[in-house]
Amino acid sequence: MAVDTAVPGADFFFKGESGRNTRGLLRLLILVTIAAAAIAARLFSVIRFESIIHEFDPWFNFRATKYLVNHGFYKFWDWFDDRTWHPLGRVTGGTLYPGLMVTSGVIYHLLRFLTLPVDIRNICVLLAPAFSGLTAWASYLLTSEMSDSPSAGLLAAVFMGITPGYISRSVAGSYDNEAIAIFLLVFTFFLWIKAVKQGSIMWGALCALFYGYMVSAWGGYVFITNLLPLHAFVLICMGRFSARLYVAFTTWYALGTLASMQIPFVGFLPIRNSDHMSALGVFGLMQLVGFAEYIRHQLPSKQFQTLLRAMVLVVFGLAFGGLVLLTVSGVVAPWSGRFYSLWDTGYAKIHIPIIASVSEHQPTAWPAFFFDLNMLIWLFPAGVYMCFRNLKDEQVFIVIYAVLASYFAGVMVRLMLTLTPIVCVAAAMALSQILDQFLVASQPSEPTESTKANGNANGNADIKDKLAAAIPESLRSTKAPLVGIYSYLSKSVITGAVTAYLLLFVLHCTWVTSNAYSSPSVVLASRLPDGSQHIIDDYREAYYWLRQNTKEDAKVMSWWDYGYQIGGMADRPTLVDNNTWNNTHIATVGKAMSSREEVSYPIMRQHEVDYVLVVFGGLLGYSGDDINKFLWMVRIAEGIWPDEVKERDFFTARGEYRVDDEATPTMRNSLMYKMSYYNYNSLFPAGQATDRVRGSKLPAQGPELSTLEEAFTSENWIIRIYKVKDLDNLGRSHQEAVGFEKGNKRKKAGKRRGPRTLRVD
Amino acid sequence: MRVLQLVAAALLPLTALAAKKSPEERFNEAHAKPQPIKLDDRSYDALTKAPRDYSVAVLLTAMDARFGCQLCHEFQPEWELLARSWTKGDKGAESRLAFGTLDFLDGKATFQSMQLQTAPVMLLFHPTQGPHARPDKPMERLDFNTGINKADTVHQWLSRQLPDRPHPPVVRPIQYVKIAMTTTAVLGVITFLTVAAPYILPIIQNRNLWAAISLIAVLLFTSGHMFNHIRKVPYVAGDGKGGVSYFAGGFQNQFGLETQIVAALYGVLAFATISLALKVPRMADPRSQSVAVLVWGGVLLVTYSFLLSVFRVKNGGYPFWLPPF
Repeated sequence: MAVDTAVPGADFFFKGESGRNTRGLLRLLILVTIAAAAIAARLFSVIRFESIIHEFDPWFNFRATKYLVNHGFYKFWDWFDDRTWHPLGRVTGGTLYPGLMVTSGVIYHLLRFLTLPVDIRNICVLLAPAFSGLTAWASYLLTSEMSDSPSAGLLAAVFMGITPGYISRSVAGSYDNEAIAIFLLVFTFFLWIKAVKQGSIMWGALCALFYGYMVSAWGGYVFITNLLPLHAFVLICMGRFSARLYVAFTTWYALGTLASMQIPFVGFLPIRNSDHMSALGVFGLMQLVGFAEYIRHQLPSKQFQTLLRAMVLVVFGLAFGGLVLLTVSGVVAPWSGRFYSLWDTGYAKIHIPIIASVSEHQPTAWPAFFFDLNMLIWLFPAGVYMCFRNLKDEQVFIVIYAVLASYFAGVMVRLMLTLTPIVCVAAAMALSQILDQFLVASQPSEPTESTKANGNANGNADIKDKLAAAIPESLRSTKAPLVGIYSYLSKSVITGAVTAYLLLFVLHCTWVTSNAYSSPSVVLASRLPDGSQHIIDDYREAYYWLRQNTKEDAKVMSWWDYGYQIGGMADRPTLVDNNTWNNTHIATVGKAMSSREEVSYPIMRQHEVDYVLVVFGGLLGYSGDDINKFLWMVRIAEGIWPDEVKERDFFTARGEYRVDDEATPTMRNSLMYKMSYYNYNSLFPAGQATDRVRGSKLPAQGPELSTLEEAFTSENWIIRIYKVKDLDNLGRSHQEAVGFEKGNKRKKAGKRRGPRTLRVD
Repeated sequence: MRVLQLVAAALLPLTALAAKKSPEERFNEAHAKPQPIKLDDRSYDALTKAPRDYSVAVLLTAMDARFGCQLCHEFQPEWELLARSWTKGDKGAESRLAFGTLDFLDGKATFQSMQLQTAPVMLLFHPTQGPHARPDKPMERLDFNTGINKADTVHQWLSRQLPDRPHPPVVRPIQYVKIAMTTTAVLGVITFLTVAAPYILPIIQNRNLWAAISLIAVLLFTSGHMFNHIRKVPYVAGDGKGGVSYFAGGFQNQFGLETQIVAALYGVLAFATISLALKVPRMADPRSQSVAVLVWGGVLLVTYSFLLSVFRVKNGGYPFWLPPF
């Protein structure tokens, strides 16, 4: 109000038609600023290090994108890759989600068409930040559908833009499927809400279109496939079936399923896999309920309705039974392991160690929630509660999404990503409610003594009405009429506090992003004693050594974590990589790593292995090395060869996993142990060798290798590469040959040929 | 049980006789008895004596309550089931496998001679003669310390150890009692629901109830309850000085009580937010309203500050804080 008197022209800008335009323009400006902030927050790693692809999976995506750009779309679609999973190869075109690569490819060609020759690597590095700007916009749209408050959407956008829960998977260089998938997830939900609200085929079809895009981009599409039917199902159960819902759902299901089946990797899964059966089931139920509703309008007879209801139930039960029967008989595949392990949390550990071995699949401790979401985590329940205030169809969606996603995020760290959007939306709804109340300049008038409660229920109503009257239908906290805030003191106190919390949130997000989520993990950074930054670049050093010093088709064996990086940076064929499609092949590598040389050598010969690569952090104290991952190799190998590899043999009698003098013979003879500690003694004075990760002193006598020879060790010993020896020229075993080289006396054969006899000619 | 003991006692002289019999006869005799055979020191020696053309699987267990062997008790019915269904599925004894159980009380000498410290242990004796003979490895040992307690796992192991022979599957008997009970219970619940529907429906359809359920679920999950459930963390732990340590050190650790404290903090913060957003603007009296605003604002500040201080305990390098904590 004060503004009115101060600026004469303010009326023109803030009222009426032009006022709306001004607000629209402001909103646009704010959204653009938010998008810019979201992108800027993700650039730490580019500024600190360089424009480089991060971690593991992105290296494969990058390699695939390069293939797509160089060979064209159809070649990419039919791509058979003989440089991974040697000697099996991988039908890469049919076993990946192509959405990410195709998106980058389209952007690349578009920029070239506009005569902007940008390197494909830079597009890949900056794709995730660019899409995070779009995600902020999508969450603005979604929240605006949920709340009447004009500020809720903008708050949601800014939360989504800078919350670490989403930044963790979308910093520059993190070129992974999630980079575009979260935008698609939020936007699909927005379109779904729009479709349900308006009952329009257009919005439903758009929803299906973006759902198809989402399917092409990320395996997490199953979350949408199950959440939308669940929303529809809950609405039906609440008696909120409507023509709008029917139109929206059937349009989405029919078109979306067709769209998803276009992806070769998905193919016929939507009709043959249990993960997708809930959507099919709700689609069927929707037809039944729709039919029943239609009949009910035509024939308003009470008995007929009962009959109809019973019929719907029976048909639903029969269909469900049929589905179970099909599952048992094997026509419909049961729940896939990854998805099933979300419900039965002990399942993966027993049956699929390879899933349990990934650190992203561990359950989430509470600090991780607070770390990733900060104050949003406590605004979130408040926002969910406010959804119950006027529970319309779209608010039901929020509640379902909130409960399900928090369960999933609790079970698996990685699914924090699906929780983040709903937390931002709900928190924005809660906070905007406060701000809307406390930021109003005008004061309400003093109350009069007129508002007296008159809630006398009728005495002779039947039990049902009495109960209904006893338990209030609306929320307890919103019964009284809205008044407003009287004093300026209250307003300024709360506004100030909220502003402080928001500023703290920004600080927190920046701190977390800068400290925890901006490391490329290909390049490590450490601080020197004088505070300056020291870059540890062992990975690239070793991969470039491979690229420049080995044959074009030299096969490199390593644990599967490094498969994509070797393929991407060293461009050499690998035995196993991060696409863990063949458990047996991985177990073979695990067996070769965890067995004695005499056992491993034939395995490596059979797989034509030329080089073996191990990651060793003992010198630097880098804890993510292969000795720490070793038990998983053993476990996975034990799953296939329980008689040859036994986890128990790697533990001492007291059940400890040790690498020092007390390590078990199996441990000390395993190929992995030998490769890690080979020649490590030579760095230290005699008997002083220590492993800085395990913090233990190593045996005075270092391990000896006979079938491998050291080929390369990087500057900080993080990567060690060994060459597999060829067969001995003289037909000796390698152990004998090494013994001969060292001058050991050869054991005389033929001593035990029985008693000497006199030769009589 | 007593009858069984009597039978076993009565069989003792027989088994002593059996010692002098040929392997063929010994196996036939053993196979004729209900599986698994209850063994003692002497019959154990007789059955596993060196020239044998059959395999023997013996479970060395300690069922007496004094030893408190929980796994023994858990596995015993599974073991009996495995032995029974194996013998039933292999009437012609083509797999030539006999099952025996040796309790510690009956076979102290055997336990001592094997130097066994733990129970249960399963021993599998391979034949020393005949087509399946394994002269290199007369005996295999299966330890149960890896968490085996089901017949199926042991069955798999046996099948691996005894190749080229029939492996009758484990057949679990149909539990009619359980089926009947489930059916009755389901019918009972349906009946109850039908009768009580007019009373229950208003409760089920009540919005406050669902709001409470959703909020509790959200608070539980976001405060790390599933981590407790999966990792089976302790509820609290001592701090080494006789006191109680409420918060586990380290970012990846937590205690059961700790998550409940955190959930409560989140709950208080959320409630303060709800009060400020929904309740306070609906208060008609200006004075009480300003008091409420200050109170809830204060609660919010103090609780959030406490939460941040707790988080600093978990994450050493965290630089942010709020007064007063």
